[in-house]
Amino acid sequence: MNGVLRVSKGTITVFVLPCLLFYLAFVFAPILVSVYYSLMEWAGMGDAVFIGLDNYIFMFTQDPIFWPSVLRTLYISLFSLAQIPIAIVVAILLSRYVRRPNFLVSSYFLPVILSVVVIGQLWKAIYNPASLGGMLNKLLTAAGLDSWTRTWLADTDIAIFALCFVILWQYIGYHVLIQFTGVQNISSDIYEAASIDGAEGWRADRHITLPLMAPVIKISVVLAVIGSLKAFDLIVVMTGGGPADSTQVISTHMYLATFNSFKYGYGSAISTFLVVFCLVMTVLLNRLFKRAEEAIS
Amino acid sequence: MITEAAGASVAKQAAAESRTVSWRKAKKLGAWCFLAVLAVTQLYPLVWLLLYSFKTNSEIMSGQFFALPKTWQWENYTDAFTSGNYLNYIKNSIVVTGLTLLLTIFFSAMVSYAITRFRWRYGNAVLLLFMIGIMIPIQSTLLPLMVIFKNMNILNTHLSIIIPYVAFSIPIAVFILSGFLRSIPHEIEESAMIDGASIYRTFLSIILPITVPPIMTVTILTFISIWNEFIIAATFLSAEGLKTLPFGLNSFIGQYTANYGAIGAFLVLGALPVIIVYFILSEKITKGMVAGAVKG
Repeated sequence: MNGVLRVSKGTITVFVLPCLLFYLAFVFAPILVSVYYSLMEWAGMGDAVFIGLDNYIFMFTQDPIFWPSVLRTLYISLFSLAQIPIAIVVAILLSRYVRRPNFLVSSYFLPVILSVVVIGQLWKAIYNPASLGGMLNKLLTAAGLDSWTRTWLADTDIAIFALCFVILWQYIGYHVLIQFTGVQNISSDIYEAASIDGAEGWRADRHITLPLMAPVIKISVVLAVIGSLKAFDLIVVMTGGGPADSTQVISTHMYLATFNSFKYGYGSAISTFLVVFCLVMTVLLNRLFKRAEEAIS
Repeated sequence: MITEAAGASVAKQAAAESRTVSWRKAKKLGAWCFLAVLAVTQLYPLVWLLLYSFKTNSEIMSGQFFALPKTWQWENYTDAFTSGNYLNYIKNSIVVTGLTLLLTIFFSAMVSYAITRFRWRYGNAVLLLFMIGIMIPIQSTLLPLMVIFKNMNILNTHLSIIIPYVAFSIPIAVFILSGFLRSIPHEIEESAMIDGASIYRTFLSIILPITVPPIMTVTILTFISIWNEFIIAATFLSAEGLKTLPFGLNSFIGQYTANYGAIGAFLVLGALPVIIVYFILSEKITKGMVAGAVKG
């Protein structure tokens, strides 16, 4: 719906143009420039050479890091979705058993507001070998589980899971907070009516809480998926994509190709793919939600 | 006989009741244990960091996973404080975050007002353009922006990070503000216009004041993401004197690889400002983050 105020074109220009131009110049134009660079071979210095779609052909057919990094990006999204059921359970338990939940909710939430640099460096120290004071390995040794100790971030099979756990640790509090707000917004009258009909406890949760929380759950899903694309900073701080490229995701691959290997053209091709990937994920998610909503109603 | 049967059934009922009561208690205990374990998992790493920051290297390497420092090494903090430019990083972060907030709010409030209240053809199209921005990952603009800024001769200045910060904070701000502005009744402006106030005056002295609650939400969301931003700062800045807190923190740690205690101390110092803000405004922050998430 549009507004009703009748104003002159000049006024509209004054209100809209500065912001719109600024936004187009620094968000949209760079993307177009990046598409243009992706058709070039260019190392930053000297002349760029037009090579058509060669960068894309190399990316899709020859680059050994590319497809694993796409898959890993999807894994991280899926893994991030795992925190939502946990958050829902926590939210329900909080609202049912805890009279003053604020302290617990704020302590779950605390890691959310910290910088990835603090989080990343802290967890690097936690994952260190025991000889360097790593807490996790010391904890395992103290519990008599010596055989479980690992060099968590140096092991190509495990590093990615170690990273996923940090993402979970940082953001679970956000999801708990969102789900908890959702639970609290459900009117207690509904539960009273349900208990007269004999639905209490987990049965009431399944038939009342969950359906009523569908919109809040949707928010968590979107945040988890978008957030997992942001795992980029954390990976740069903690592993830099290593060891042996085992923690590369699309965005780290793009960043390292561009700023470490100075393949500006090729980096731009990956970056163009990343933008398309994000937009496609958004459209797919929206479709999925529409279908889920139709299924419920 | 009748009374005896009644007595038995009462006793049975009492037994059943006490069983459900104890079952309920067990469930409550279980729930509390689960919630407490989660709280410890969330908080213990931070407590561990605090203890770590007061230890000597040998204590850190040889100690147990839980151990208090034998003597509290305040030197770690003086080391971190004197060899890193902590106060300068903080100053830079305040300048950059402050300017980003001002520009973001100013720009997005004006555009949101125009989108929701003016009668014009392209309002929805403009809104859609801004909404697409929410989905665009900021990393994908790094190289083009670097080239653009190099040509503008502003690479390695605060401007080169404030510009992308503002540009990428605008979409979510426009979304939140236009959602709010759409809901206020039109009589508000009509009465002001009848009194002869211009549209600019109406915007500044009537609309902006009532928009304070959603502006708070925008402020909180933008503050958390910009204060903590690392990768853009690390890509566009190189001068030591310009570094923001997260970037300065990371490069300090890169240089001080052997002094664990000082690294810990610097991490604590790095986390401190936002934790202090959180203690003071925790309710506002959690509410703002939920409101932002719900609307985003």
